Amino acid sequence: MLAPAIDLPMVSTPMVALKDVTVSFDGFRALNISAFSVAHNELRVVIGPNGAGKTTLCDVISGKTRVTAGKVYVDGVDVTHLPDVEIARIGVGRKFQTPTVFDSLTVYENMELALPGRRNVWRNLLGRESPKQRADIMQILNRVHLLREFSTPAKYLSHGQRQWLEISMLIIADPRLLLVDEPAAGLTDKETELTAQLLLELKGAHTLIVIEHDMDFVRRLNSRITVLNEGQVLAEGDMDEVQRHPDVIEAYLGR
Amino acid sequence: MHESPASDVTDSDAQRAQELFQSSQTFLMRMPDIRVMRMRMAAGAIVLLLLYALVPLLNIAGKVPDYKVNILGQYLCYAIVALGVDLIWGYTGLLSLCQALFFALGAYAMAMHLSLPEGGGQYKIPQFMEFAYYGHGGQLPAFWQPFRHFGFALFAGIAIPGIFATLFGFLILRSRVRGVYFSIITQALAAATWLLMCRNEMLLGGTNGLTNFYRPMTADRRWIISLYLLTLTVLVLAYLFCRSIVKSRLGRVLVAIRDKETRLYFAGYKPYAFKVFALAVGGMLAGIGGMLYSPQTGIITPQQMNVEESILMVVMVALGGRGRLWGAVCGAILFRAARSSLTSDFSGAWLLVEGLIAVVVVLFFSDGFSGLWLSMERQITAGQSVLRASVTIIPLIAVCLFLATEALGLTPRFLQVDPAHPQGIAPKYYVLVAILIAVGVFHRLNSKVTNKRALIASASSVTANAEPSLEAAGIKGGS
Repeated sequence: MLAPAIDLPMVSTPMVALKDVTVSFDGFRALNISAFSVAHNELRVVIGPNGAGKTTLCDVISGKTRVTAGKVYVDGVDVTHLPDVEIARIGVGRKFQTPTVFDSLTVYENMELALPGRRNVWRNLLGRESPKQRADIMQILNRVHLLREFSTPAKYLSHGQRQWLEISMLIIADPRLLLVDEPAAGLTDKETELTAQLLLELKGAHTLIVIEHDMDFVRRLNSRITVLNEGQVLAEGDMDEVQRHPDVIEAYLGR
Repeated sequence: MHESPASDVTDSDAQRAQELFQSSQTFLMRMPDIRVMRMRMAAGAIVLLLLYALVPLLNIAGKVPDYKVNILGQYLCYAIVALGVDLIWGYTGLLSLCQALFFALGAYAMAMHLSLPEGGGQYKIPQFMEFAYYGHGGQLPAFWQPFRHFGFALFAGIAIPGIFATLFGFLILRSRVRGVYFSIITQALAAATWLLMCRNEMLLGGTNGLTNFYRPMTADRRWIISLYLLTLTVLVLAYLFCRSIVKSRLGRVLVAIRDKETRLYFAGYKPYAFKVFALAVGGMLAGIGGMLYSPQTGIITPQQMNVEESILMVVMVALGGRGRLWGAVCGAILFRAARSSLTSDFSGAWLLVEGLIAVVVVLFFSDGFSGLWLSMERQITAGQSVLRASVTIIPLIAVCLFLATEALGLTPRFLQVDPAHPQGIAPKYYVLVAILIAVGVFHRLNSKVTNKRALIASASSVTANAEPSLEAAGIKGGS
């Protein structure tokens, strides 16, 4: 048998790579990962029991939390000590666990702020969104059933609407890497299904790391899964592999 | 399969969305109703007409004394400052407690020019410099020299506060100092610079400040009216300028900073740059206000820049309603009018009243006076008749009328202090207290009504969300 001429996964740089990363809070090890990587345009689901370090993983990649030791790379760039703003400008977008939108601004204005480019003072003072961008915003809002509320201040939205608004803001910002923390939390089944659809549509052109508790939702995403437990990577594989993994069963059911 | 996120939306849907967007542009500008728009324009026109035409006419007709117009011009200077405070505090959420410093910087720049022969002074150098303890043998210090030119004074009055605010903001805000810590630092700055200005070594007149401008700017009617009209025009221009900032995307970033600054980091914004911008604009506006202030008072002392003055500038914006430019302007004028009226009638009680205003506004009127107008707008938008809704703003109009007559010296004699009993409380203050109580009651009642309406509206929008939204939107757009 001939070996393949080029071993693709080895040659191309992964979108995200963590090497020997540890994060300690006052001696408590929240994260201890020797190697974790996500390829370009992959959708990776991260699951794990409470306190497993899932959100800390997102925090480390987006620069919200600093690593105690180790290196973090985004598309080959060392972002370990880069400020959070710079990491965001590289193209790392984020949805927070509790939907975080700008309460006093309307739905449309929230979307407007998320439009790509134009992050400095003068261009914000003088620039306006193009008709194309307006149409894009309206289409996405239509998709997530927020068109009617587009002039409503975000503080009047329901929890599910806020979730969608934040996801929509991620979509319009068009980052290369999306960190999506619990997108289905507090949503009805119907809403969860739409959220799954949106994420799957993004999969082709974007890299996504999705953190989720809801196993039905995880099954629906049908992607590679990383299981975290007590800050460590317990298992990696597709849904069936992970479910059959003895360590995973023990972490979820045992003790 | 892997197309854009909205791939399954057909062209006609998209077109419909676009049409809906176009038809709702007024919503985006937060102009919810044509009747509300008309009310706003009418109110604006009336106020401008009163200030631009009626006040000078009444003055010329002899009904309003010159000094009242002069003092009214001073209130307008504070209104310009209030616009800046609102931009910094109301929109961006930075509680800056050193606006009086920027105000004084502008005021001193203009006062320096006016103290020199080129600015109309009689003496070669300001009188205070001739005293021996200044250690100057009758020479004009080097930093005073450029102020011989009016143009330079004008430039310095805007640029010095602007540059100062920018540098200060840059140093403080870059290190992500936030909230109350920022306020404390600004207050410390205000206190430190106040102490500095009180020193004679600064060659700016020490605690006595700069005075004796010689030109009859506070005595001659032509000077008074032209300065008043100039201040009014600058106020209108400053308002339009701030409005254009607030309506731009930058204005939305400022509000986003107020709402949730940390979220902006992860969207790739550097909030400090925007905060520095707001501070710089606020500082420059304060400087402009100060430049118009010193010629109209004829004196500028460090007393105008102490810590208390800075706090008052925030209180007056809170009184008018933070986060709304016209609210800040109204608040500033009302507050200053109340202040000068009360300090002349009961000089000891003013501090008490000032504290009371601050507490009452924080506890019961978080929207300030402009909140009354807004609740009227909400009622109109909710479908109430204009006449019924305008009942809401009667207290607002009453307070404005009261203070306007007071500020112009038009209060009828029977409401004034009885000359036979100068120690007694004038009847007009009973009227004022009655008005204030009415304001409180009206506000309570109206906020109850509008809250109920808002609840109903939000409930209906949630249920409507279950159905496909474009269809619903189409129906809504058609009806």
